[in-house]
Amino acid sequence: MTSEPHDSGDVVELPAASNAVDIALDELEMVYAFIYARVGNRADAEDLTQQVAMKAIPRLRQGAPASAIRGYLFATARSVLGGFWSTRLGLSESELHEDLLMAMPTGGYSQESADRAALILAALSDNYRRVLELRFLHGYSLKEVAAEMRSTVGAVKVMQLRALRAAAKVRLDA
Amino acid sequence: MPETPENRVERIVSGLLRGRRLKLRGGDAEARDAIIMAARLAAARQGPQRMNPGFRQRLADELEAAPRQGWLTRRAALVAGVGALAGAIGGGLAVRGLQAERPSTAGRVIKPINGQWMDVGALADFPPGGARLVKAGSVGAFVYRSGDQVSAVSSMCSDLPCELWWDGSRSLLACPCHNRTFTPQGSSTGGQYPLPPLDIVEVRVTSEGRVEVLGV
Repeated sequence: MTSEPHDSGDVVELPAASNAVDIALDELEMVYAFIYARVGNRADAEDLTQQVAMKAIPRLRQGAPASAIRGYLFATARSVLGGFWSTRLGLSESELHEDLLMAMPTGGYSQESADRAALILAALSDNYRRVLELRFLHGYSLKEVAAEMRSTVGAVKVMQLRALRAAAKVRLDA
Repeated sequence: MPETPENRVERIVSGLLRGRRLKLRGGDAEARDAIIMAARLAAARQGPQRMNPGFRQRLADELEAAPRQGWLTRRAALVAGVGALAGAIGGGLAVRGLQAERPSTAGRVIKPINGQWMDVGALADFPPGGARLVKAGSVGAFVYRSGDQVSAVSSMCSDLPCELWWDGSRSLLACPCHNRTFTPQGSSTGGQYPLPPLDIVEVRVTSEGRVEVLGV
């Protein structure tokens, strides 16, 4: 007939738990950056990071070193990203191998994404590199790109598609 | 007329460059290599990203709330060191099996320092199947009665600092500040994403049939 108070013997006070949450959040910041670098927008990155947090946390084990925690979170992030792309585009994990096997950050906020993009662009022909630089790095509209390249909007659209496909074929050494 | 590959990719690229979510349609898979590369280049333009403060807070709330049924043993915290998160989870796993039944979505238990059991009325005053707002000093709670059992949750929304109200027609606690609701046990319902559960308030029924809430 009564609802007894819960035994608090195994639960630490809020400050310690909050500290644990802060540690988890710091790791998840890197997971977020990792995911954002692959989906390119905040809304999807937030959804996927939340999925990683919810999936990974119940499976972490007591006493694991920080490196193992990070490893597990990033393994989960890769799995969640694989699911994201396979659901939306029907891609298998093997087709995403390069994207998913990229090294996980070892700390801080790396320029990995920008560096890789620069390397990929550098491997393209001049026209392809130019159209992607103007569009993605400088934020030009199609019309502005067409004016800059003395071309038409239709031709730039086709070139953009071909340039993206060429960029996707560029293989960088890990 | 079917969308051409270049138009398909342009639609996605322009959405990405406006910061929009990737909205993909059937048939977009034919341009998947270009789409994945477009997402990557769009991200590169932004540089390394940090979580939005609101999102980080939401995640923090969920992390605080989720394993509260055994969030962290003190020993685990000491042993795990930097791996306190793992300690937290391990502690949760270790404790879970020992605790009485409690929904996995349960919120934190409010344990006021120097808390006292405060009389909030006779059990008979609490309608079965309903929740009633009570005050135990500084602790506001909705006491829910199911048969002779009572449970209680904080009267404050877990998302916004607003006092909830009991919507008897739906048997839900509703937040007046936004369109969100909670079950009498404190789990959030509906919405695009779950809110943290409401905090649990300690409540008991005495042998004299009086309802008491742990307040301060």
